[in-house]
Amino acid sequence: MTETIHNAQPNIYKPAIMKIVARHDEAPGVRTMRLEFQNPADHEQFKKTFRTGMFGLYGVYGEGESTFCVASPETRNEYIECTFRQSGRVTSALANADVGDLVTFRGPYGNRFPIEEFHGKNLLFISGGIALPPTRSVIWSCLDQREKFGKVTIVYGARTVADLVYKHELDEWQKRADVDLVLTVDPGGESPDWKYRVGFVPTVLEEAAPSPDNCIAVICGPPIMIKFTLISLKKLGFDEKNVYTTLENRMKCGVGKCGRCNVGSVYVCKEGPVFTAEEVSRMPAADL
Amino acid sequence: MITQEKYRTTVKELLANGTIKMAIGYRPGSTSDRRRPLFIRTSEEADQLVLDSTCITNLSGYLVAEGLLSDEKRVGIFLRPEGIRSINILAAEYQLNVDQIVIFGFDSTGREVRPLQGQTTSDFSALLSEIRENPPLTTKEPLLERIEKMNAKERFDFWQQEFSRCIKCYACRQACPMCYCRRCIVDSNQPQWVNTSSHTLGNFEWNVVRAFHLSGRCVQCGNCDRACPVNIPLRFINQRMAKEVVDGFDHFAGLSPTQEPVLASFKKDDTETFIL
Amino acid sequence: MTRILFSDKLDNCVAKWRSAGLTVIGPVQGESLSSYATVEKGTDLHLGMVLPDRSLKELFFPQTEPMLRYTIKKNEIETADFTPPSAQRIIFGARPCDASGLAIDDPLFGWDYKDEYWFQRRNESVIVTIACTKADDFCLCTSLKLAPDSTKGTDVLLRPLDKNRGWLVEELTDRGREAFAIISEYLQESSETALPTVEVPEKFNLDACVAWLQNPENFDSKFWKEISMRCIGCASCTYLCPTCHCFDIQDEGDTYSGIRRKNWDSCSFALFTMHTSGHNPRSTQSARWRQRIMHKFNYFPGKFSVNSCSGCGRCSRQCPVDMGITETLQEISKL
Repeated sequence: MTETIHNAQPNIYKPAIMKIVARHDEAPGVRTMRLEFQNPADHEQFKKTFRTGMFGLYGVYGEGESTFCVASPETRNEYIECTFRQSGRVTSALANADVGDLVTFRGPYGNRFPIEEFHGKNLLFISGGIALPPTRSVIWSCLDQREKFGKVTIVYGARTVADLVYKHELDEWQKRADVDLVLTVDPGGESPDWKYRVGFVPTVLEEAAPSPDNCIAVICGPPIMIKFTLISLKKLGFDEKNVYTTLENRMKCGVGKCGRCNVGSVYVCKEGPVFTAEEVSRMPAADL
Repeated sequence: MITQEKYRTTVKELLANGTIKMAIGYRPGSTSDRRRPLFIRTSEEADQLVLDSTCITNLSGYLVAEGLLSDEKRVGIFLRPEGIRSINILAAEYQLNVDQIVIFGFDSTGREVRPLQGQTTSDFSALLSEIRENPPLTTKEPLLERIEKMNAKERFDFWQQEFSRCIKCYACRQACPMCYCRRCIVDSNQPQWVNTSSHTLGNFEWNVVRAFHLSGRCVQCGNCDRACPVNIPLRFINQRMAKEVVDGFDHFAGLSPTQEPVLASFKKDDTETFIL
Repeated sequence: MTRILFSDKLDNCVAKWRSAGLTVIGPVQGESLSSYATVEKGTDLHLGMVLPDRSLKELFFPQTEPMLRYTIKKNEIETADFTPPSAQRIIFGARPCDASGLAIDDPLFGWDYKDEYWFQRRNESVIVTIACTKADDFCLCTSLKLAPDSTKGTDVLLRPLDKNRGWLVEELTDRGREAFAIISEYLQESSETALPTVEVPEKFNLDACVAWLQNPENFDSKFWKEISMRCIGCASCTYLCPTCHCFDIQDEGDTYSGIRRKNWDSCSFALFTMHTSGHNPRSTQSARWRQRIMHKFNYFPGKFSVNSCSGCGRCSRQCPVDMGITETLQEISKL
């Protein structure tokens, strides 16, 4: 095969090179990495475009790219943090990478949480298991400008105590007077010294019964949790328009070309990943 | 026409008395020389059944569709002799239970279609042995004669050239009754055994891997060859592999549902000519 | 005044275009397959076929294409871009359906992020389309509101004269005019009339089908399961389609160096949408076939105001189990 290399054309599929500057194990098989841009121009572009809710394609050359959210907030854009579970080919390669190693990042892509519209409102964050990272990006984006928002409530649950991620930050939120943190683990997942709740997220949410008045809810979690949490929110009186979530789908290009992330007519990579519950309800459920 | 009418009646009877829940056959296609697979569940659907010399597709692959046989009910299926061999291999590889299959056998010479007597695979064992001893005469294709005259290097170059057209649509795999793996080796990426790209090397890898996976299992029904949208003459590779297996291991695939898969069994007197 | 290009001048034209630095591409009948391929002489062109087995898409979006070469060194990763080898091309004898296919995919490859692999080739290609005077049972352009002489995606439209004598030339774009200026010495002014285009019967009522597809209630219709029961889940329809554009990105090589490629991929494959967790939003073949039809006639036009089907009929022509867009939409119009 004869192929010529040119360097002149801009290539939308070319990733930025990132250095791993820190890594941290969150839970069994779950790791957080902090990445720094190697090329200042890539970093400038990121700083210009990144808003909370956007995602990226993280990659290791030779293995490929994998899609997950940017877990760090838009208020801290000197680096990128990502949290992933080691499960496929790319995440295994990322998990094998050490501090100082180079990986790749393509993005940030997609839409964002419109947090300016949340100004002056109460915020309710609901999250399950490994889905805390996208929520955490919004949480810190708001906590870093705390004065602009009303009451902040975080409901977070995982299967077991070991599966809770960002444990050090959970401690920090627990101690803050301006954050109301409700922690829970599924029945049977508690450890002997667990001092918080035991129960599924939707049940715990209904018990905590946050008021829907002037409140925005952001939920992220496995599909089954989202399904039942939406029912609970409805019971509590939340309007679907005030409930936000992020969708996750298999992606390759991230820029609306490769055709696999569609749910109904929606290209998740371009029109998402952030949607209101009302928008999600209009999508064909069977395709989610 | 008589065969077709008879079979329509038989299918209706077996559906009505609950012997089978469905029959898989053929119906008219988008042009006069095309036939489509037909799934018969009602008497009306049975009236659409067509059986003539243009019914060529080996339908046996549909039997291993997820869930079809899991309720343990019987399914009828229209098969030519090579299709019956496919059923035997699928049974030998524990993909289906032959007791659940009701065979509507047929064969054709020229435009004439005739029914084959029997309903279960064992009813056809004499016929299959006869085919093994005296394979039906087919006219030798000029391309095959050309390939047979080639030396190893020429043959390698020929196939590399043919495979270079491959677009990796996997129609050969999907059309093949023997390619029933829920996850094909090319779809596994930890490790990436076969290159997924459709360039010369990737195409060669894929087609050679498939040929090896079919050796001792292919019944030369021709499904892959007819399905290939870029007209790679896949039948010739599989014919050659089948011949190698007969010559090397005296194994004619699909004779019975209990025949041991040749490459998954060991015999002390197996030839070892392939060990370098 | 119309101009004519006579067939006996085609060799001269090809030579002239080639000496002007253009690569000349057109329908070619290979030993066992026809496709659009590079030719050296006008006589290499096979302009009589209904349409080539393979579509024009692959000259703009090849089945596999290198995007990057990576080399990993200590504390450094070097990447070099591949872009298509720059070549001014003239595609002579495209069919209107194939040319339309290119125009249909332009907005997709261009929205927000511009795919240079597509657009470099688009910008470097002149499409000379020949109106159809014959069709086969599978042609369905008219059902898609296109025609045997559609000009969508075309720079120059040629209308055949009788007895294969040549074509009336209709230059539609500047790019087309420039390419034909090169061969102007071989064009003759004329008042002849061209052959009528072929009558392609309408196979279904597109508007009725689209209305049915747009009704959310029909998403879960049992129709989808019935129509796709015999689908074997190969990708021959999507890969031969002049508008199907889905792709995969794959790395080839080792930890130290290799190539990242863009490869065709298909919504017919289960793996296409499978999450790492094992969850698959489109886990059945019927869901995948529904996606293909919905995408072409509901979602894509919703985004880009054009159906993602140009009516070439290759999907039906090549399907191993005789399925295809025609049958599905015909059945939908009966519902």
